[in-house]
Amino acid sequence: MNGRLLHFYLAGINNQNFLMRDKETGSWWQQITGKAVYGPLKGASLELVPNDELSFGQWKSEVSTGRVLVPVAKYEKEYDSKWETEVAKLPVVISFPGTELKSRDVVVGVTIEGMARAYPWDTLVKQSPVVDHVHGTPLLIVVGPDRKSFRVFVSRIDGKDAEFFLKGDTKDWVLLDTATASEWNFQGCATAGPASGKCLDRVPALKDYWFDWRNYHPDTTFYKH
Amino acid sequence: MYYSDQRSSRGLWATFAVCALLGAGLFFVPAFIIRPFRYQSPRALWLAMAVHDRAPRWTLFATLLCLVFALLLWRNSRRWGRTVLTIAMLLVGFTAVMARLNYFEWMFHPLDSAQFIGEAQSKLDAGEMIMAVRFGSDARAYPISEMAYHHVLNDWVGGVPVAVTY
Repeated sequence: MNGRLLHFYLAGINNQNFLMRDKETGSWWQQITGKAVYGPLKGASLELVPNDELSFGQWKSEVSTGRVLVPVAKYEKEYDSKWETEVAKLPVVISFPGTELKSRDVVVGVTIEGMARAYPWDTLVKQSPVVDHVHGTPLLIVVGPDRKSFRVFVSRIDGKDAEFFLKGDTKDWVLLDTATASEWNFQGCATAGPASGKCLDRVPALKDYWFDWRNYHPDTTFYKH
Repeated sequence: MYYSDQRSSRGLWATFAVCALLGAGLFFVPAFIIRPFRYQSPRALWLAMAVHDRAPRWTLFATLLCLVFALLLWRNSRRWGRTVLTIAMLLVGFTAVMARLNYFEWMFHPLDSAQFIGEAQSKLDAGEMIMAVRFGSDARAYPISEMAYHHVLNDWVGGVPVAVTY
């Protein structure tokens, strides 16, 4: 933060999104937003680094010398491999009636110039690749070959909007675009065809529960088809 | 003389009670507000953080102040009075200690010295979900099952300081 190195630790919970504090100033930060909500740095925002939520298999296929965080032996038995189904059962404390989405529905949230949009996970898995527009920007939302990993791109090749669909006549997971008829991989890069070697721009996206996404993006819309 | 003694004793007891309640509240009010599975309104959250930040100093002050009143009351107290004084002092002392400890890290232990291994050595299942960060040639995978427990990890990736959260 402004050239100052901060170290964070878990400090509390705010409507089921955790609060952390930094050891250096004692400011309180909200996890989902990366914003300081109280203390000397109140109002400051951490910069979101490019990141992915992938299956280990997908990640391994993309990196050559990657390193993996090792479980801490002392606490390993406390890790819950079924955390997702466990957490899904927990009660929620805030809800937003009036939409068809349920509080614990998992969504992929995207924000383009302040305009937020949520893509229900189940819909994405069924319809991937999804092409949609947010604030005039064409987006490509894809669920990976493992049906677990996801990425969001700007669906534009050399400034021209493009549509994408899954190539059907192959066992491998390949996307085709309508603008150049090139083949694309899950990293958003063209592997064959006229666009070969080009990569789509990535868009930061967050997998979250609907209630949490909606809480921090009150004006969010959601994808429905 | 007797009446004024009794009156001043009552006043002293009342002051002690206020002191003990305030002292205990400094810890219990924020702890009560920031508890899991409960709704936190923005104002309550603000109060919790404000009190929490001041609690280490104020609880110490409250403990010392209560102790002074307790000592003054001790001499003229009988057994029940002394029992009340002892319990109240233990409670206030407890809050002074608790205000200095982070019990959230008792529930979810922090990950202080993170270790990494090469992807080939990892025993992680191919279907396990991870969070991935990459800067230059430094690619890291943070298994979600592990991060869902520790919640926060301070790390360096390709020379960039990052806070990994889940």
